[in-house]
Amino acid sequence: MNQSLRGDVEMPNILCCYKWVIDEAYIRTGPAQALDMSVVDYKISDYDKNAIEEAMLLQERFGGSVAAITIGRPDDTKGLKDALSRGPQKAYFVNDPSFEKLEPAQTAAILADAITGRIEYDLILCGEGSSDLYAQQVGPRLAEKLGIPCISYAVAINVEGSRLKVERKTEEGLEVVAVPLPALITVAPDINTPRIPGLRDTLAASKKPVEEIGLTDLPGPYEARIQTVGIKAASLTRNGQKFSADKAGVKALVEALQKDGAL
Amino acid sequence: MAGVWILAEYIEQSKELLNVGRELAGQVGVELAAWTWDAAWADECLAHGADEVFLLPPLSVDQGLDAYIRIIAEKARTIMPEIILVSSTLKGKELAARLAGRLDAGMASECQGLRWDGEKNSLLAERLLYGGAGVQTVSCLGRPQIATVPPRTYEVASRSEAKGGRLTEISEQPSSPVAILERKSREHQTQDITRAKAVVCVGRGMENQRDLEKARKLAGLIGGEVGCTRPIAEEMHWMPEDTCIGLSGKIIKPDLYIGLGVSGQIQHLIGTRDARIVCAVNTDENAPIFAGADYGIVGDLNEILPMLLEEIGAVKK
Repeated sequence: MNQSLRGDVEMPNILCCYKWVIDEAYIRTGPAQALDMSVVDYKISDYDKNAIEEAMLLQERFGGSVAAITIGRPDDTKGLKDALSRGPQKAYFVNDPSFEKLEPAQTAAILADAITGRIEYDLILCGEGSSDLYAQQVGPRLAEKLGIPCISYAVAINVEGSRLKVERKTEEGLEVVAVPLPALITVAPDINTPRIPGLRDTLAASKKPVEEIGLTDLPGPYEARIQTVGIKAASLTRNGQKFSADKAGVKALVEALQKDGAL
Repeated sequence: MAGVWILAEYIEQSKELLNVGRELAGQVGVELAAWTWDAAWADECLAHGADEVFLLPPLSVDQGLDAYIRIIAEKARTIMPEIILVSSTLKGKELAARLAGRLDAGMASECQGLRWDGEKNSLLAERLLYGGAGVQTVSCLGRPQIATVPPRTYEVASRSEAKGGRLTEISEQPSSPVAILERKSREHQTQDITRAKAVVCVGRGMENQRDLEKARKLAGLIGGEVGCTRPIAEEMHWMPEDTCIGLSGKIIKPDLYIGLGVSGQIQHLIGTRDARIVCAVNTDENAPIFAGADYGIVGDLNEILPMLLEEIGAVKK
């Protein structure tokens, strides 16, 4: 393992992971309940924007460095610029034409191998899940692969010397936990509001270094542990009956609800 | 030999998993085992169909569920169960994913349906993707096959007449580098909206925070609770985050849902689709909420909400 454990980690090296995903807002339902992806755009997975933002907020408060890492096909470079425009000083681009539709076990294994022996870190930040699969596995799996502690669904992070104090969500409320560095934390979307990069940030982003890591640089192979058997469009449609926006309409609506036994 | 394992943070969810676990164990032709750390829960699991219960030593006050991961993973390596089902509470999801990472096992997250494919000898799981726009069916390759299941996806297993299941006490001590310093219970505010019979949901179309009072009044009239969309909690901070309805928030199953100024992003509709009746008021006639609603009114909340209060108030008298 290659982490910068400098006894008292005052200024953490933070690595934030992001996924470049299909923007689900562009997905349509085609014939026979198939998903129509003919006109789609991509985006940084929503919750990963919170991870990048939290890394930047921590750097503003405690110093240190922030780098971003992602996995994709060689032409998925648009995301790099977007990620770097959000503040990180450097990006690692783990890419190969075969790095498409990876399942979480593969993503975590590739990330672990790309990081180990190559990237110095005290803290790894991930979003709680991705906007496309939302399996919420990669963060915890990556922590296991790296053999470091993991805290999930964080809503506040504080650096206290060589340990972190983190507030995480639980079913009953919140827990304040302490964990030694290095560690991995997945952040909940309510931890912050991601900044919107300005023109200057976008210009600065194109000057920042991107280190490429290819499949041949990694030990591999990375076999899938789950297989997608099929995907179909979710059916959410109901027979919407509209009522007029006046007293008569509201009265008719309430009568309908009564008839349904819903009141 | 225990072939289907179940594990949940709360006994209610253990019983739900025992229900689906019993079915799967029968199809696979193996035993059903439950993991717990509470002796009383162990008895409950045995009474609800478990052939075996693994009873873990209790946690110290500063330890969380993650302190058990190493112990469970080691046991899984020796016994190699066919299937491990974990209830997907926040801690359950983390535990399952880390267990899968440690065992290098395939995992299907937040499954809404599970079935056994006897021909291929594998677990088939249905789950949502793309923010709820799609339903993905996955099969796990290799063993064990891990799946997390949202609470209340299955009914609780019925109490079975004593079958004489075994209790196996685990002696290895839990350990974790993570120390819990403090637990903050959620302020006592509303009833859990996932259990509410009726839910009034506030969306961005509500322009004035003062109108929340009207939403609460409406909820009071229909005997329900108030929930909200993500922006109301996260951007406006009008309501607590745990009242957010949707894919990454709460999945609700009320008899009646009334959306006030809710546009109906797919992520939100996933949270309401199990409602029996969905009713929506929004100014935008093209808002996606109307496609997922049984009844709708295209109109201004400032006008419609007072009328709704009056009319429902009249029939509720």
